[in-house]
Amino acid sequence: MLPIELSIAISLSFIGFLYKFFCFIKANKTFKKKRLSNGLNLKGFFSNTVFQIKLFKAGKLRWLMHFLVVSGFLYLVIFHAMEDVTSFHLFQYYQSTIDPFQFLRNLAGFLILSGCLGFLYRRIFFFKLLKKRKIQFKGLVSILLILTLILSGFLLEAIKIISQPIFMEMVEEYSDIEEGTDLVDLKVYWKKNYNVFFNETLTITQAKLVNGKELNENYCIDCHSPVRSAFLSKRIALVLKKASIWLNTHRADYLLNNVHYFLSLLIIVCLPFSRFFHIILIPISSLDKNLEKKQIDNTEGHINTATLYACTHCGFCSDVCSVLPNYLITKNLNTLPHSKIESFKRLLNHTLDGPQALFRLQSGNDECTLCHKCTDICPSGIDLQNLWVRLDQKLTAKGILDNYSFVDNISLQKWEENAPQKGKIDSIIWKTPSLADNVDSFENCIQCTLCTNVCPVVEHDMNMNDYTPQQVLNLLRLGKKHMATGTRMVWNCLSCFSCQESCPQGIKVADIMIELKNDGNLRTDTMKLDNLKRDR
Amino acid sequence: MKLAYFPGCKIPFELEAYGSSFERIMERLGVRLQHLPFNCCGYPSRGKSLEIAVLSTIRNLALAQKHGLDIITPCKCCFGQFKHAIYYWNNTPDLRFKMNKILKKEGLSWNGKIQVKHLLSFLYYEFGLSALKNRIKTPFSGGKVVVQYGCHALRPFSITGFDDPFTPKIFESLVNLTGLKTLSWSKSTECCGNPIYDTNKKLSLKMLESKLLSASEKGAAYICNACTHCQIQYSLMNMEEKFKKYDIIPVLFTHILGKAMDLTTKDLGINNTPLSD
Repeated sequence: MLPIELSIAISLSFIGFLYKFFCFIKANKTFKKKRLSNGLNLKGFFSNTVFQIKLFKAGKLRWLMHFLVVSGFLYLVIFHAMEDVTSFHLFQYYQSTIDPFQFLRNLAGFLILSGCLGFLYRRIFFFKLLKKRKIQFKGLVSILLILTLILSGFLLEAIKIISQPIFMEMVEEYSDIEEGTDLVDLKVYWKKNYNVFFNETLTITQAKLVNGKELNENYCIDCHSPVRSAFLSKRIALVLKKASIWLNTHRADYLLNNVHYFLSLLIIVCLPFSRFFHIILIPISSLDKNLEKKQIDNTEGHINTATLYACTHCGFCSDVCSVLPNYLITKNLNTLPHSKIESFKRLLNHTLDGPQALFRLQSGNDECTLCHKCTDICPSGIDLQNLWVRLDQKLTAKGILDNYSFVDNISLQKWEENAPQKGKIDSIIWKTPSLADNVDSFENCIQCTLCTNVCPVVEHDMNMNDYTPQQVLNLLRLGKKHMATGTRMVWNCLSCFSCQESCPQGIKVADIMIELKNDGNLRTDTMKLDNLKRDR
Repeated sequence: MKLAYFPGCKIPFELEAYGSSFERIMERLGVRLQHLPFNCCGYPSRGKSLEIAVLSTIRNLALAQKHGLDIITPCKCCFGQFKHAIYYWNNTPDLRFKMNKILKKEGLSWNGKIQVKHLLSFLYYEFGLSALKNRIKTPFSGGKVVVQYGCHALRPFSITGFDDPFTPKIFESLVNLTGLKTLSWSKSTECCGNPIYDTNKKLSLKMLESKLLSASEKGAAYICNACTHCQIQYSLMNMEEKFKKYDIIPVLFTHILGKAMDLTTKDLGINNTPLSD
C-alpha cells in the first residue's frame, strides 16, 4: 500500500493532468479528431524523447546539461525513490549505503546538480542581446525545486554520516555490543573511517582500531561501505562538523528527511502545473506528423494546444529568428517566437488583456516570413510555423486585419478624413526629409504618363485602381500626401521599379511609392489601434 | 574562393531544391560556401518600414564582414534588397548613425566593403562565360526557353548594376551555354506578380496568367528563373486549375545548368519535372 501522503500527491497530480488536458480540448475543440487523423510520427517521437535529438542539434552544451539532469533523475527516481519496489527486489544485497549504490546515488545527485546550475546560469544570463528580457519566474521554479530537492538529499546524507544518535540506534538494533570497551573501539573505528562525530573524547590507538575493525566486519560491513564513495556528501559532512553538536542534539536528520520527502511530493503535485509538464508534452508534440512534412498544414482552425504548452522557453527559436532586426527596431517582443507563443496561449485562454496587447500580437505575427527556422530548431518539437499560420487565421477571424486588408476596406475619403494634423506623423522615416516630403524630388514631373504605361499593376488592375503612378505624383504636387498614402496604387505597388527606370525626368517614382507605403502603414497602425480601443 | 551563402527565408522552407542545387553547382565550380547565421534580407519589410529593411540588410553585411566574406545569393529579391539598402545607407547619414548604434550593441559594424553578388552576375562577370562553357559536359539539344529576369535585381540599374535594364542579356547568354535556345520575350523584364501574392492574390495571379499566356504564344516550353520568389510564383501554376491549359514549365536556372554539368538529379533535388529524365 502507498503511504497516504504519497497517494494524495499522486491523485492531485492526476487530477491536475486531467484538468490540463480538459483545458486543451476546450481551447481547441477539434483537438482529438485531428490528432488521430494526422497520423503519428513514431520515429520523431523516439529520437526526440529518448535521445533528445533536436536539442542535440540545436545546442550541444545545453543537450549535455539536460542529459545530465535527465539521466541523474531517472536513476534516482527508479533506484532511490522507488527502492522498495525496484532495488530491493532486483539486487539481493541492496542497501543504499553500500557500494556501488552509495557511490551511484552521489554521482546521480552530482550530475543533476551540475546540470541544474548550468540551467540556472543560463536563465539568469539569458540572451545577451535582449538584456531587458524578464527572467521567467515560472521557469526558475522548476529548476529551484529540483535544486533544493537534491541539496536537501545531500544535506540529509551528510548529517546522517556525522550523526551520533543514528550510530547509537543502529548499534542497538543490529549488534549485541553493550556499553564498554567494544563500543568505544567501534566508535573509534567509525570516527576514523566513517566520519561520525562523537560528542566525547576518543583517543585513536592501533589496538582499538584493530578491534573496531573486527567488530565492524561482524556487524556493520554488510550494509555500510566506507564513506569515501559518497564523495559529495562526505565533503559536506566535513563542513558540517563544526555544527554537529547542534545538529545531533536537535536531530536535524528528522527535519531534513521530512523536507526531502515533502519536496518530492511537491514536485509530483507540480508536474502538470509548471515547466515540469514538458516531460509529458514534448513526447506528445514530437508525435506530430506535420513536423516531418515541412509544409503548412492548411486545415483551418486546428491548433494542437498540447504542443503549445510544450514550450520550455529555451529561446533557441528567437536566437535564429529571421526577423530579429524587426524586434530591434520596433521593440515588439511579439515578433520573437518565444514570446509570441506566450501571447498566443493567453489569447486562447482569453487572458490577453487590452487592445494594445492584441494589436501588438497581430503586428508582431505579421512580421513573420515563414522561414521555418524556429520549427527546425525547436528542441521541444513544436511545429511553431504552423502555429503562426493558425494565429494569423485566429486573429483575422477576430476581425483584426493585416494592414493591407484594413486599408482596402476603407474608402479614400475616410482615409483622408483620418489624416493626422500636419507635422504629427510625417517624416517618420528618419530625420532627413523623405522624398515624398521634399518638393524637389517630384516637382519636375511633366505628367507624361510613361510611368503609368509601364506599370504592371495599372495594366492588370485598371478597374480597381483608383490612381495611377502619375496621378499619385500629382497628388503630391497638390500637397495631398496624406491622401496619396491611402491610394490603392501605393498599396498594390510591386516595387518593380519599371516606373522609376522609365521616367524621363529621373524622378524616383518607386522609391516615393515605398515611402508613401511606409507612412500609410504607420497611419494604419494608429487607426487600427484606435478601432480596437473603440470596440472594447 | 570562399563566399558567404545567403539563402534568404524562402529557400530553406519552400524551395529547398534551389538551395541544394545552387550549393552543388558552386561546389563543382570550386567556390566554397560558408553558412552564416543570417537573418531576413529585409525585403519583406521594405513597404512597412524602411528602417527595419535597412537594418536587416546591414546586419547581414556586418555578419559577413565579421567573417571577412563577400555574400552570394541565388535570390533576386534578396540581391536587390542588399543593393538598395546599401544605397540608403550611403545616402542617409541619420540612418547610418542610428543603425551603427544598434549594431554596436551586438558587437557588429559595417565598413561598406563587403560585396554582394547574385548567382547570375557572379557567373557572368566573375567566373566568365568561357570558363563556364568548359564545365558543360552534356549540353541540351535545343528546347525553347524564355527567361524571367526578376525586377529587383534588374532595376534600378543605378543601384543594382546588374545588367542593362531595358535590353538585358546576361541571363540569356548563360542559359544558351547549356544548349537550350532562348527566345526573345517582351515580358521577360516584367514583374511576375509575387510581391503582392500575400495581399492581393487576385491581381497577382492575373499578372502571372498574362505572362504565361504571352510565353506560350511565343512557343516556349520552359520559363527559366533564377530567383526564389519568381520560381515560387510560377510554381503556382501547378496548383491553380485554370493554369493547367498552358503547356509551359517553370524551371530553375540551377537545375538546367546542373543537368548540363552532369550533376545527378538526386544532387540537384529534381523530382517530378521533365528534367528528371
